[in-house]
Amino acid sequence: MHEYSLAHSLLEGLLEHLSAHPVEGRIVKVHVRQGELLILSEEALREAWRILSEGTPLAGSELAIEKVPVVVRCRACGYEGDARYLVEEGWHQAIPILSCPDCGAQVEILEGRDLAIVGLTVEERPGTQLPSG
Amino acid sequence: MHEIRTGFGDILRRQLELAERNYELLADRGVRAINVMGAIGSGKTALILRMAQRLQGKGVRVGAIAGDVAGDDDMRRFQAAGLPSTMINTGDDCHLDAHRVGHALEDFPLSAVDVLFIENVGNLVCPADFPLGTDQDLVVISVTEGDDMVRKHPKMFSQTDVVAINKVDLAEIVGVDPQKIVEDYRKVNPHGRAVLTDAKSGRGVEELLSALGF
Repeated sequence: MHEYSLAHSLLEGLLEHLSAHPVEGRIVKVHVRQGELLILSEEALREAWRILSEGTPLAGSELAIEKVPVVVRCRACGYEGDARYLVEEGWHQAIPILSCPDCGAQVEILEGRDLAIVGLTVEERPGTQLPSG
Repeated sequence: MHEIRTGFGDILRRQLELAERNYELLADRGVRAINVMGAIGSGKTALILRMAQRLQGKGVRVGAIAGDVAGDDDMRRFQAAGLPSTMINTGDDCHLDAHRVGHALEDFPLSAVDVLFIENVGNLVCPADFPLGTDQDLVVISVTEGDDMVRKHPKMFSQTDVVAINKVDLAEIVGVDPQKIVEDYRKVNPHGRAVLTDAKSGRGVEELLSALGF
């Protein structure tokens, strides 16, 4: 259930950001990028957000989660790109494998472990001027 | 509706920065740290005690940090074995994080140890998303958890390079073939090392230490 502590960090970060960079209008969606390697339940994260954001200016906003695929780099052969995936019958999930798809050496992870807020959807209030951005 | 792009930062990057700070502190003091993760009752504490015993026999000074939601039982076990140790009670959190470990390191007698085992909260899943700044990760599972552990938590194992499959002495009793776990693990992590251990008797502990590079 680490979704709650991560939702809390996202919320705190965004509230802090908004106090420095206020937006006009009601925030209805908060766009989040979630790395594929995180062992994180999207549903639990959304639910945690719903509960933790109550009583804050973000109450009623929804988390829109975009999964970010793994990008790897091979130090042995220089490959940089998508990871290889293991698909096993009955596992119900394609598993990114941290081996080079070209030469089989162990790879480093360039992307796939991040959790970041990347955008907001704001409902315009009649008569208000929206910031450009 | 209006879209605003905002990139005010990756919250896990903050975790990573704190972890890097811990890593630098430990490196600076010449301490090698290992983050020991695994479910409640998998045998993390017992394995750490066994490894500590072997390492001490080779003249290596070992310390331990016990991470638990509550209670000081594990720290007492470490202390009883003569290891410099401290504990982190997380309150309600299901994992240690770099921030908490950073505070624990501030007060830890780092000059008295060469190797520091950081025993994470008993929980197979959550700790994986929080780097602590250790040199290595070790995941401990026990055969009593079933032979389908890797299939149930593939992403956990695909990112862990050393796995101890503990309590192998009970494998027959619980009807689990440890080799099945090893095979699954090799599929998700061709570079990793799985070691069969029995912390109670000490079986496999030497091999586990060698898998960790000792």
